[in-house]
Parts: sequence; structure tokens; C-alpha cells
Amino acid sequence: MATEAPFKGSIPEFDYQKEVDRWANVVKLLSEPEPKVGQTPRTEVWRKNKSVLWHYPAKQKKYEIPLFFVYSLFNKPYILDIDPKKSVIKNLTDMGYEVYLLDWGTPGYEDKKIGIDTYVEKYLKTAVKRALRHSEAEEITLVGYCLGGTIASIYASVAEEPIKNLIVATVPIDFSTFVGPEKWAEGLKNGDINLDHFLDIYGVVPSKYVEMMFRAIGSPIYFTNYTMLLNRAHDHRYVEKWRRMNKWTLDQVPFTGEAYKQFVNELVKGNKLVKGEFMVGKRAADLKNIRANLFVVSGSRDNLVLEEQSKPIMDLVSSEDKTYVCVESGHVGLALSGLFAGIVDQWASSRSNPLF
Amino acid sequence: MSGKKPYDPFESIHKLSLLWEKQINDFIYHWTDNKDFIKMSNTGTEINSRYLEKFKKNQEALAGVLNLPTKNDIANVATLTVQAEEKIEALEEQIWDLQDTMKSQNKEIESVVEISKEIIKLTKQLKTELVKTKKEQIETKELKAELQEMKFELMKLTNFKEEFESIKGLLEKNKEVDRELAGSGTAK
Repeated sequence: MATEAPFKGSIPEFDYQKEVDRWANVVKLLSEPEPKVGQTPRTEVWRKNKSVLWHYPAKQKKYEIPLFFVYSLFNKPYILDIDPKKSVIKNLTDMGYEVYLLDWGTPGYEDKKIGIDTYVEKYLKTAVKRALRHSEAEEITLVGYCLGGTIASIYASVAEEPIKNLIVATVPIDFSTFVGPEKWAEGLKNGDINLDHFLDIYGVVPSKYVEMMFRAIGSPIYFTNYTMLLNRAHDHRYVEKWRRMNKWTLDQVPFTGEAYKQFVNELVKGNKLVKGEFMVGKRAADLKNIRANLFVVSGSRDNLVLEEQSKPIMDLVSSEDKTYVCVESGHVGLALSGLFAGIVDQWASSRSNPLF
Repeated sequence: MSGKKPYDPFESIHKLSLLWEKQINDFIYHWTDNKDFIKMSNTGTEINSRYLEKFKKNQEALAGVLNLPTKNDIANVATLTVQAEEKIEALEEQIWDLQDTMKSQNKEIESVVEISKEIIKLTKQLKTELVKTKKEQIETKELKAELQEMKFELMKLTNFKEEFESIKGLLEKNKEVDRELAGSGTAK
């Protein structure tokens, strides 16, 4: 006589292989060293203070004009070369571009007086000159990502160097739109929030505070990344991607006091970049001085830099050749997925003097 | 196999955590999105800054007495290093300019050398031409002398011809005289 289990149907079925894989990956994640990032071969071209200019040679050079990447001051630029398979920089060198990357480095207390204008005048300008000399090219393409795009735009508006193309992605230009609680924006604009004294005393905003600032704007409590990891831990490729992303997210860079003051008081509060009043040395960084071919990329799911903050640059520059695209991506996803390389190539290939 | 999707507790946990996270963050957003919170945060930041400022001042004073370097001293040294780096950079750029000038001058010299070579070539050609012309001149002189000689000979010949003609005329006259003489002889 056949007997049937009394609780059959009420006990949930598990995929045991999936559970074994999940926990094996979790154990591996906890015991293995941090994932390797920035594996594309590169050479140091120039170094000043903590900043380094890196050169990534093209696999087979196909374009005369090199790409010069300017990344944000808030994070480390290795997001552009985080995964060998999805690296923005590697993909571009494979496509035949000579790539240069200016790594701002990690500022210390001694760098408290370095403002955005100093970064532009004494670091970016020199680095571009060095890249031009190193590549023996007559012109260059500037590629700015996030706040790096803002810095690249400021530089392009005062540059004496030959900039043929300017590419900016997820770039905040117009700060009249504030991301975050309304009253915070109000408080910042009417002076209820004033961080000047705090910045003078601290010298640099510690990296933990930078992380907290982003958390406060986005989501102060954030733990779903861990539950998401647990949920998809059986997938080895996802775990690898998560580990790299997690490393980068927690690897914030301190922000120099002077640069932070300029960022908050002049860019956010005064919206001086849109008004053409931001000063670099004795020159006003007026975006209408930009005549280089312009390409602006926004992410439709970007909740840190909104489209409304990027789009105004299109009307502020004097460029005749200007293109704006909004892609299906988040703020970091564009770089993390490697998607950005294809977008850059599509636009820049015809504007980079192809060699054959 | 029953064909049912296997139970995955972590999927539910993730879904729940997304919900909780959103609710907590929404609560924090509403809790902090007001003037009082902002003023309180600002005051907190200001107190923290003042406390730290005092602490730093005391630390600096104490370190000064004990002759100990502080972070400010190190920062000043670091600034000097950066300044030195900038000076080296400026020197390097000047060297570049010099190198560029040298390169362009070298190019100019090269072009001058090229032109000089052309000139030398041309001079050699001219020299050869000159030798040729001199030779031709000598030949012409010789020819001229020969011509002169020929002219002289011709003149001689002309004189001779004239003499010959006059002799011929004389001979004719003689013949006539002879004929006349012969005629008169027969008539007698």
C-alpha cells in the first residue's frame, strides 16, 4: 500500500543547488581579498601633488585626436576601468583611441586651499598640455563625467589649448534645480545652512562625511544592496559585479575645503556657471566661450544629477555642432556597465580625425 | 517535479527590505525637510566647529611650547613641495620651448644647408660652363685669327687679282699694240 507524506504540498520546495551556490559565494565574498580594479595597462605621464595623469595606449591607434578623461572630485576614477570586461577605458583603447585620465588623487589637510579654480588652472590645464605634448596631437577631446564634466566645461570656457570636442556625461551645470529636500535648498540659498566656518576648521571634508552627504541626499538608510546581494548570491557574475561596485561606493575621496566652499557658495548657491560669473584666475568662466563640438549625455534614471541640470549647457555654449542624448541608465550605471564607451565612440569617431 | 517555482526566502526578504528602506527614508525625508531641523543642524555644525577650533588652538599653543610640529607645520612644508613642483614644471616647460626653438632652428639650418648644396651645385655647373665658354672663347679667338688671316689672304688675292687684271689689261694693250703694229706693217 502506497503511503503519501501527510504534509506534502505545505512544505516549500528548495532549489538546493542554488542555495549551495549562494552560500559558497557568500563565504567566498567574506574570505577573499578585495577585487582588483583598474587593470588596463597604463603609464604615468605627469604627477603633481597627489594628482596623476595616466596614459592608456590604443590597442591599434585609429584616431589622431586623443580622449582626455576628467572625473569627479567626489569619487575615485577607477569606476571608468572597474571591470576588465566592462571597462569604459579598455573598450575605448580597443576601439583605437589614445586615452588619458587625470586622477585628482586623495587630498589631505595640506590641500585645504585648493579650490575648483586652482584645480582648473594649475592641474587640469597643465595636464592637458602634457597630454597634447605626449600624444603629439594638435587637438584633444575632453570627456568630463559628473562633477568632472562641470570642471571640464569651466576649463573649456577659459582654455587656450586646442580643444576640438567636449563630451560631458551626467553633468551638473544649472544648480537652480536642487536634488534633495526642498527646505534644505531653501536653507542653503538663504544662508540658514552655512558651512564656511566648518570647512575652515576641518580643512578638508573627510571622505566619510562626503559619503554621508550623498546618503543624506539620496537615501539616508541603505541596506537593500545587501539583501539584493543575498538574493542573487547564487549568480557568480552578479557577486563579482556587486563586490566591485561596493568597493567603489565605499571608496570616497575627501573634498578640499576651498573647493567645497566654491562648489556650495558659487556653483550651487550663486549658480555662477550659468550666469558666466565663475572666476578662474582673472578670467570669468563664461560657457558662451565654448566653441568646441559638444556632446551631452544624461541618464534617464539618474536621481543624483537630473536632466534639467545638464540640458541648459546646450543653450549656453556657442558651439555649432552640439548633440544631446538621454540614455536609459542611472548616474553610475553608464560607467559601470561600460555603455559609455560605445556612446562616446558613436559620436567621437567622426570627429577624431580617423587615421584610415 | 511538481513544476512549481522553488521557494526562495531571500527574494521575499529583499522585497520586504526595499519596502522598509523606502518607508524609513520617506520618514527621514519628511522629518528633516523643515526649517527647524535645518537651523538645528546648522547650530550643531557651528558648535562642533567652534569646539574643534578651540581644541586646535590649544593644541597649536601646546605644540609651540614643546617645539612639536603640528599638522599645520606639515601642511606648510607640503605647500613648499608643491611650489617646488610648480617651479620644476615651469622650468620643464621652458626647456620644451627651448627644444622647440632648437628643433625649428635645426629645420631652418637644414633648409639653409639644402639651399647651400643647391648653390654649390649651381656654382659647379657655372664653373663648368665658364671653362667651356673660355675654351669656346679661345677657339673663337683662334677662329678670328684664322679669319683675319683668311681676310688678309683674300686681300692679297684681291690685290693679286687687281694686279692680274692690270697685267691682263697691259697684256691686252700689248696685244692691241702688236696687232696695230702688225697691221701697219702689212699696209706698208
